[in-house]
This record gives sequence, C-alpha cells and structure tokens, in this order.
Amino acid sequence: MHFKAKEENFLWKKLRNYLKINTPLHKMDEDLAHFSIDQARKLGASYAEARLESTTANSLVMKNGAIEASSFDHFGGIGIRFIVNKKLGFVSTNELSKNKIITILEKAIRITKATKTMGENISLSKERTEKARYEVKQKKKLADIGVEDKISLLQKAEKAIQSTKVKVPSRYVVLSDTDTKEYFTNSDGSRIFAHVPKMNFYYFLTINANNKTTQRYWVYGASGGWEQVEKWNIPKIFSEEVTSMNNILRKGIKTPQGIMPIVCGPQVSGIMAHESCGHPFEADRILGREAAQAGESYVQLAMKGKKMASSIVSIADDPTIANSYGYFLYDNEGVKAKRKLLIKDGKVNEFLQNRETAFQLKTKSNGSSRASDFEKEPIIRMSNTFMLPGDYKEEELFEGIKKGIYMKNFMEWNIDDKRLNQKYTGAEAYLIENGEISTPVISPILEVSSLKMYPAVDAMGNNLELHAGDCGKGEPMQGIPVTLGGPSIRLQGLRIK
Amino acid sequence: MKHEEITQFLLEELKRKGADDVILQLGSGETTLIKFVNNKISTTKTWESTNLSIFATKNQKIVTSSLRTFDKETAKKSAENIIRSLARMQPNKNFKGIAQGPFKYTKEQDCYDPKVEALNEEMVDMVKQAIDTAKKKAKRSSGTLEKTSAESYLLTSNNVEAHERGTGLYFAIRTLIDKNSSGYGSCISRMKNKIKIQEATEHATHIAQLSKGPKIAMSGSFDVIFAPHAIAAIVDRFADNASIFSVESGLSCLKNQLGKKIANPLVTIYDDPTRANGYGSTPYDAEGTPTQKTSIVEKGVFKNYLHNASTARRYKVKSTGNAGLISPRAFSPVLKEGKYNKEELFRQVKKGIYITNVWYTRFQNHETGDFSTIPRDGAFYIENGKIKKPLKDIRISENILKILKNISALGKETTQIKSWEVDTPTTVPYTLIKNINITKPN
Repeated sequence: MHFKAKEENFLWKKLRNYLKINTPLHKMDEDLAHFSIDQARKLGASYAEARLESTTANSLVMKNGAIEASSFDHFGGIGIRFIVNKKLGFVSTNELSKNKIITILEKAIRITKATKTMGENISLSKERTEKARYEVKQKKKLADIGVEDKISLLQKAEKAIQSTKVKVPSRYVVLSDTDTKEYFTNSDGSRIFAHVPKMNFYYFLTINANNKTTQRYWVYGASGGWEQVEKWNIPKIFSEEVTSMNNILRKGIKTPQGIMPIVCGPQVSGIMAHESCGHPFEADRILGREAAQAGESYVQLAMKGKKMASSIVSIADDPTIANSYGYFLYDNEGVKAKRKLLIKDGKVNEFLQNRETAFQLKTKSNGSSRASDFEKEPIIRMSNTFMLPGDYKEEELFEGIKKGIYMKNFMEWNIDDKRLNQKYTGAEAYLIENGEISTPVISPILEVSSLKMYPAVDAMGNNLELHAGDCGKGEPMQGIPVTLGGPSIRLQGLRIK
Repeated sequence: MKHEEITQFLLEELKRKGADDVILQLGSGETTLIKFVNNKISTTKTWESTNLSIFATKNQKIVTSSLRTFDKETAKKSAENIIRSLARMQPNKNFKGIAQGPFKYTKEQDCYDPKVEALNEEMVDMVKQAIDTAKKKAKRSSGTLEKTSAESYLLTSNNVEAHERGTGLYFAIRTLIDKNSSGYGSCISRMKNKIKIQEATEHATHIAQLSKGPKIAMSGSFDVIFAPHAIAAIVDRFADNASIFSVESGLSCLKNQLGKKIANPLVTIYDDPTRANGYGSTPYDAEGTPTQKTSIVEKGVFKNYLHNASTARRYKVKSTGNAGLISPRAFSPVLKEGKYNKEELFRQVKKGIYITNVWYTRFQNHETGDFSTIPRDGAFYIENGKIKKPLKDIRISENILKILKNISALGKETTQIKSWEVDTPTTVPYTLIKNINITKPN
C-alpha cells in the first residue's frame, strides 16, 4: 500500500497533478478505439488493445473544520498497448482525434521496433474473447449529490468530534468520488464496456491529551452510489476513533515486551494479507519484472503446493465482490475476473497472473491486470485481498490468554522489497489479561518475517471486514483502489516489542 | 497559440462573471519511458496530454477544475459551471488571496535541452550501454530510462503571465549478483550531456558486488553512514514538514519550532528551485511568485516555514514562492555539504553500518517524528572504517528530530537524488549519523 502524502514536483508531474482533462461522457467514441487497433495493425502490430476512459471526479478538502477547496473535473483519453515484432509498447493521449492517434502510434511503434536486439520477446496467453457491458448500480446517484450535501456531512463529522470533548487539534479530511466509464477492445475481438462509480473518504486526525499527541489515519472506499457513504456513518467513525485514541493517550501504559499471544483486528490482518501475501504472489514480481523499484518476492514458483501457513489460513483475491473498492468484472486485458485463492488451507495455491506471465508460466490469466487510468500500461494488481474468516467470535479469541496483546489497528507499517520483513505498530491496542481486554497500551510493535508470521496463526475470527486502500506499483507509479481485509486473528509464539 | 487565446478568453469570462482570483495554467507535455528487466527491454511507453487547470475564488470560496476542449463555447460553459459551483461552496476564512503580480523572472539555467526533447530511438542505445556495463560484473539488471518535455503557460487575474519550458532525463538501475545481493543507482538531469548513466550503473554494480556472500542481521544502536539515496529519503520527508500546510494538518514535526535549535549546528537545509540543471527547478510557483532559495534549517536552527501568498499573509510573512495552490511545498531541498570525503567519513566509524538505499518510510506520529524505514539493496557492517559484512533484514526505527541532532559529519560532495522513494528531487551528501536505532524481525 502506498500513501501518497504529497504532490510530485517536476514540471510535467506538476502539470499532470494540477490539470485533468475534460472529456464529456457523451462523447466517448468507441469507434476511435477500433480505429486505434486497426492503425496499430497497419503499422505492423501483431496484437493491439485500446482503452478509452472518461471519468468525472469530485473532491472536497476540509482542514480543521474549514472547507479548503472543492474540485470538479472531467478527464479521459485513450491508452493503446501493442506488440510489434514480438516487442511490447504502449502509448496514450488525451486528445481524442484520429490524426493525433496516427501521429503518436507511429512514433511509439518506431521506438518499440528499435528495441529489436535488446527487447524481450513477449507473447500473451490465449484467452476467451469477451463481449460484455456492465455497470455498478447507484441507489443514490453521485451526480445528484451536491457539494452542499457533502459539506453538511463533513460538518456533522466535525460536530461529532466536538461532542466528545476530546482535544483534536488537527483534522484533515478528503471526501472524493469518481465516475468512470471505460471501453476496452483488442485485436482478438474482445469488447467490454464498464461503468463503475467509486467513492473515497480519507482522514488524518491528531489527538492531544496530557501534553502528548497520537495520530490516526484511515481510508474508506466503495463502488456504488452515495448510499455507500451513508453506510460508513462518518460522524460515528470520528466519535469512536477520537474517544478510543484519547483513552489510549490518557490511560495507555508502556507495552510489555516478550513472546506472548497477539490478537490482531481486521485492519491489521488485512494489511498483512495485502503486504505479505498479495504482493509477493504477483507473478510479475516473482519473475523479476518489478525488480528495479517495487521489488521482487520471497515466493518462488517452486513453492506452489507447499505449506507456508497454518492450515486455517486461506487468503483470497476477489474483484467480483459487489460494492467493493477494488471491484471489476473484466480486467484491463479483457479477461473475466474471478476469485483466486492465493493461500488455500495453509498452502501456496495460485499466483496473480496477467496474459504475459500466464504465457511464460504456461497457464491462463486469472484476470489480474489493471491500469490506474488510460495513461498507464496494465500490470498485475490486487483487487480485494483478504484472509478468509473462521468460526470464532472475536471475544472467543481472547479466551485462555493469560497475558497478551490486542492490536485493533495500526499507524506505522512497512515491509521490505521481497515482502518478508514487516513491521506493524499498533495505534489502538490493549493488554489481554486472563481472557479479557484490559489496560490500553502505547504503540506495541510486531516486527516479523512472513515465513514466521503465517505459521503462527492459530485461530481465525468470523468478523470479516474489508478496508479500502490505495496501492502503489509500477513505473510510472500507479495508485489503484483496492481493499484489504480479514477477520480478527490470533498469533502464537511471536515477540511483541 | 490558439490554446493560449482560449486561456485568456476563459480568464476574461471568469472575471466578467464575478470571480475574484483566478489562476489558469495551460500545460502540455510528453514522456517516454523504457523499462528494462533482467537485461532485456520489457516495454516502451509514451504518454502525452494537454490540459488547462483552473483555480477560481469568490468571497473566499475556492473551486478547482480543468478544461481540455479548447474552443470558446466550451470555455464559456466551463466558466458558468465554475461560477455556479462557487455559489454553492462555503468560504475558507483562512484564504487570503493569490500572489499579486507583475513579477520579473530569472531565466532558468540548463533546464531545457532540445536534444532531450528530440530523443526517441536513441534511448534504446542509452539503455543498451547501461545493461552492457552492468553485465560485466552483475548477473542481471533492471530499471528505467525516462525522458520528459513539457511546456506551461500561467495566467492569473493578478497580473501574472509567464511561460516555462523544460526537459528532463531520469535513469534508475538495480543490478543483482544473486537473488539477495543487489545495488541501486539513479541519476537525473535536465540536459542530455549531464546525465551520468555510466556512473549510476557502476555505483549499483559496485554495491551489488560488495553485497555478495552470507549476510547477518543486527540490531542495536549504531553509527550509520547514509549514502545519498538513503539520506535523501529522510531529507525529502523533512522538507515536507516545513510546509505550513503540513504543520496545520498535523503532518509536521516543526510545529512551534520556529527559531529553535532542532539540529546539530553542522546541519543546513534549504529549498533551492533556482539552481542550474536542477530537476526540481522552476522559475515560478503555482501562482506565479518567482521561486527563491529559502533557508529551512541554518546551522541547526529552524528558520522558515514554506508559504504561498495566502498563508504568508495569514502569518504576516512574505511568500517563499512555494505555492502549491492549496498546500505550499518544497521544490528542490538541499542538505548542505560538509568537509569530508567519503573515505574520511568511513574512517570516523569504529563499529557501525553503511546503508546505501531505503524504502517504505512511514510515520507512527508525524508531530513527534517517530518513523521507520527499511534499507534495501546493499547494507553493510563497518569496523574501523572498513566494510566487514553485508547485512540483511534490518530496519531503521527512529525519530526524525533525533536524526537531525545526531548528524555528526557530512561529505563534501552532493548529489541530486530522485528515486522510487524520493519524490522531490533532493540534493544531499554522504552523511554520518550517530546512535541510530537498528531493529530486526524476530
């Protein structure tokens, strides 16, 4: 997961950040996508695909109770990927004209052809030709929700904080939504139209008590209409969050250190599933395609079928979950999306594949290819990645623990570029004593190798939650909506610092 | 020219319909990127676009939007939509207006090179040379070569009209001797003849070679030499903290620190978007204020927050020329050099660690500055100034203010770094920091 805390700097990136592009929805010209394919083929491409995108985007920023700014935008364009002389190339533009497409394709194909002696020979796995149109229904259409409604919601959230009487000197929140229409076609004959509206709520709070501060950020996200935002109940999220963190600040004790049972809440099991299973199970990482930046993987192809976790651990990646933030039914190579079990009953079961890795590994794509927008090539990405729930109620996980730690959620986390060495530092966390939650503790740390962590899971709760995130990968960086999730889980034999 | 005329027309429309402040930025650009993997080029990518960004205010209400279709009818409709949106917004009482022009701009030195703009197929040869160089000593190498050319036209309601044209080259390489032994190098330049691909490649390969062999994990308190890629990630984050927006949002360790001693007196940090061939250099900020060299830390004392015109008015200071329309930000942070060469720095370490690169820097608390980051590629145990053993599985678990206080020696040469972890091009020397807390997984 990659949290982009700031704007990028260099002129071009500066422009790309500030300036989005206005493509009215009704002008989405599917014929232009077909023209692009034909043009690429004329220029020698053996395969070509085109993605037309048209997105409307709104966002509202509130800082310390004051509305900073609101933005509304339309942007879109076309991205064309092709294989010429077995070499892979990509080009995009936001100027939707035939002349522009001819010009950029000629130039792009020239440089791709020039890689002849240096280029990797690329082939794609054979996949079904798909023809589909799908959309996510909105009970309350985002287009009907005015900026006044959004301001009113954020002000209610602000009041909810005030009513707790907790000191929260800094409150930074962003409420945003996108409504994306996308048309995909390729030279194999696939034609897919998707209409997916999504919304996102980000908050960053600083809580103050006894001359100390603690901080907490989190993200909510969904696909669908405004009804999804209403379900989150943002005022309740805020009042619960600041009350809990205030309690930690006032009553929290130093975390006892040592080996002890640890119960992690769904936000923690979710980030574990994302970081130490989802990412290292991406076949492009395993094959070294992301070596330079996002890194490689501790997972080797030969590990398939081998045990790596306790047998109660199964981890799924499933883009088809209704109203999820990582939702899609066809990926950006036109392959039908499906649920994959990456770890099944503790064993390495399946990797995330696109058509390129699937061909290399003599298998089929499992529909894991995504691009963050029309300007980016599709690469292997997660969607909704989560630990499958078990049978226990959360409180049953505490039973029998004489002394342990309950890490409900976290703030600081990171993991190495092979996805082995990870750290999660608790935000809201408590001692478990004699089977029950007792005193709050300050910033417990779990710093552990993936190979030790997964075998340590000895009980799985039934309280599955999916949480939203913005996952970063690729060159240039592509931030993409995902969910990460799981139930509460119990781990034995690990050290708390 | 047509696009600039539409920009001017849109400004007039917005003003006519009652907008107070308007900032329009017309930008167009093209980037080509070659990605190579395991000694082969895996893909070539080109993306280009033209956009007009719009920032408009009325009675302290702020709306941003954009335009892509460049005709008068669309511009007129866009102006109507913006005015309608402004009417529905709430005022931001903290907003105190945009910069008042006209301004004079100093011509940037070495920030535009037609030879970079013209690059296309030749980039393949540049990558080939790098791969061939790495192949002599490393088993495989992966990375990217990216070239960018962009133009911008800035027009505001407050008497600003300015043009900027720039190019850039960015090269990054990771070489691997085996699965667990790697080195990383990167370089940036606005000018073709100043990009040091060979040097970056040789550095990556050298580190990869040093990393060969069995590795040990260590934990405890160590004196650490940070190579430029590693310290740049920390200085980049620190410079973010200097934005007044970060301070107000809880994202800064510099709240209430103005004028206070926050670092070792050896430490001087400034933002300098005026430097020649600077990857983050720009003649003006997002509202047209000329950029300038701004001191952030001078001999250990915190000197200035970074401001745009609005925040500067609110705090009764002058804009530092760091707009961001919503959030001021550093363009080109610099940690000033010291007096030692690399060997002299190493000689100062009896038992310590050398870290060549880091990634995944995350904070537990931005106000206290508690964070951790993970060394990647070569990291080494040093004894009596000599590299003894490569390390694995280590993490820096630290506090950013403690790090600034514990900087004990600085190299005399600086490098401007941009990488996966360093978003803002950041100029730094090799840096020796005492008593760094190193942790390892259990």
